[in-house]
Amino acid sequence: MSAVPPDYLKDRIAVVTGGCGGIGRAICQRFHAEGAVVYATDIAGFDFPESRIHVLRHDVGSEEDAKAVMAHVEAEHGRLDILVNAAGIEIEKTIEETTLDEWNRSFSVNVNGTFLTSKHALSLMRKAGAGSIINFGSYDGFIADPSLAVYCATKGAVHALTRAMACDHGPEGIRVNAVCPGYVDTPMLQSFFGESGDIASLKQAVRDVHPIRRYGQPEDIANLVNWLAGDEARYASGQLWIIDGGLSAQVQQMRL
Amino acid sequence: MSRLDGRAALVTGGRQGIGRAIVDAFVAEGADVATCGRGERPPDLPPTLGWRQTDVSSADGIEDLRIEMLDRFGGLDILVNNAGIQIEKTLLDTSDEDWDALMGVNAKGVFMACRAMIPLMKRGGVIINIGSISGNVADPGLALYNASKAFVHGLTRSIAVDYGPKIRCNAICPGWVMTGMADAAFAVADDPDTAKADALARHPAGRFGQPEDIAAMAVWLASDEAAFTTGQCFTIDGGMTSASPLNPRLF
Repeated sequence: MSAVPPDYLKDRIAVVTGGCGGIGRAICQRFHAEGAVVYATDIAGFDFPESRIHVLRHDVGSEEDAKAVMAHVEAEHGRLDILVNAAGIEIEKTIEETTLDEWNRSFSVNVNGTFLTSKHALSLMRKAGAGSIINFGSYDGFIADPSLAVYCATKGAVHALTRAMACDHGPEGIRVNAVCPGYVDTPMLQSFFGESGDIASLKQAVRDVHPIRRYGQPEDIANLVNWLAGDEARYASGQLWIIDGGLSAQVQQMRL
Repeated sequence: MSRLDGRAALVTGGRQGIGRAIVDAFVAEGADVATCGRGERPPDLPPTLGWRQTDVSSADGIEDLRIEMLDRFGGLDILVNNAGIQIEKTLLDTSDEDWDALMGVNAKGVFMACRAMIPLMKRGGVIINIGSISGNVADPGLALYNASKAFVHGLTRSIAVDYGPKIRCNAICPGWVMTGMADAAFAVADDPDTAKADALARHPAGRFGQPEDIAAMAVWLASDEAAFTTGQCFTIDGGMTSASPLNPRLF
């Protein structure tokens, strides 16, 4: 059952950074199914079977790459309607274990990438007359997971940047929101699980601590990104949309 | 296929404003909708929709609604707690009668409606409470209203945690939406027109909200698209509360 009007994003031009990653891929495919023309940008990609999902090489930490991606979109369509800043990396360390290079690399992808891609998308969105930017925050930008120090810090930065961009560019018709996923079944989560010995019991424990009794699928996140990208969300801006199966609605659960 | 085909929905406070927009949006998405209010049936309500003249702050009124849902739908899939009132007073001006009236509808009414309707959601269900930005940040001169919406936000999380995964429960926190309630708030300003212009300048979206903006989120939250979404209070305010209330551009 489709939960937004059919062809919800018909003929919209969308760029999704990290478009070949776990959540990014689900977003690209959903946008395509809703009628959009999609540019999936990534550092290392694969070809999508869908005819209107185009893969572009893009290191989001590079300003030259951001300019090149937008120049490509401008040459083909002259405008941009939707930008999803989904590229992100996670380093599973405390600050004591984190090197300065690792810290800088995390900020380069998660924060600079959001800054640079958005900065160079704005002029194309003005040409469209309106736009929707969706950043990737995280529930980790509100509350911490152990040994994810720099990741938590980058997501807090994305949250603050989201509000600032919404404040500055709202009057131009550009809405800016962040989605803040909890535990979602992606390679990133599998890597996080991989640190533990008994993965099966860990996975069950993770399910049990969620009020919804499962962790998320990339499609759950794509559902919300899709809604925010289109006109149903026309008055939604400057917000941080936690989607975590109810996880952070609770205080930390004791084993009773 | 529509997004809420065949779902049985109850929207409290459906006479006007946000409640009525949600009723209309749910009907457009294929839901079977019943609604209620303290007055008589609105003449423009489509005849197929249920209307119950009910005060949600009364236990008898909630029991009447419960029986009505059983008779009409044999259960319930979606509950929207939208009914609410606003009293424009600071704390010291607020009487015990004001407390009973406001907390009776905005807090006790939501509590009683959830308590009565969750057992009717045999196939699982969705609850959407209408909170407010005023439950997160204070609007001046609306002391009890602000506090009542903070109650709604807290109850929303508790229901999500206690009744998941069968029940999903979220709140929508509207900002300034052009309804009779917003007009009443502007009316107490020294210069309502100036106050309105000033408020407008504080919205990155460049406009106030419309009831349909809130109804669009209610439809999404009620649908299966939001299957992983629970325990949250989502603000839709045209970006207003993402900016500081101290706005140097307006000096």
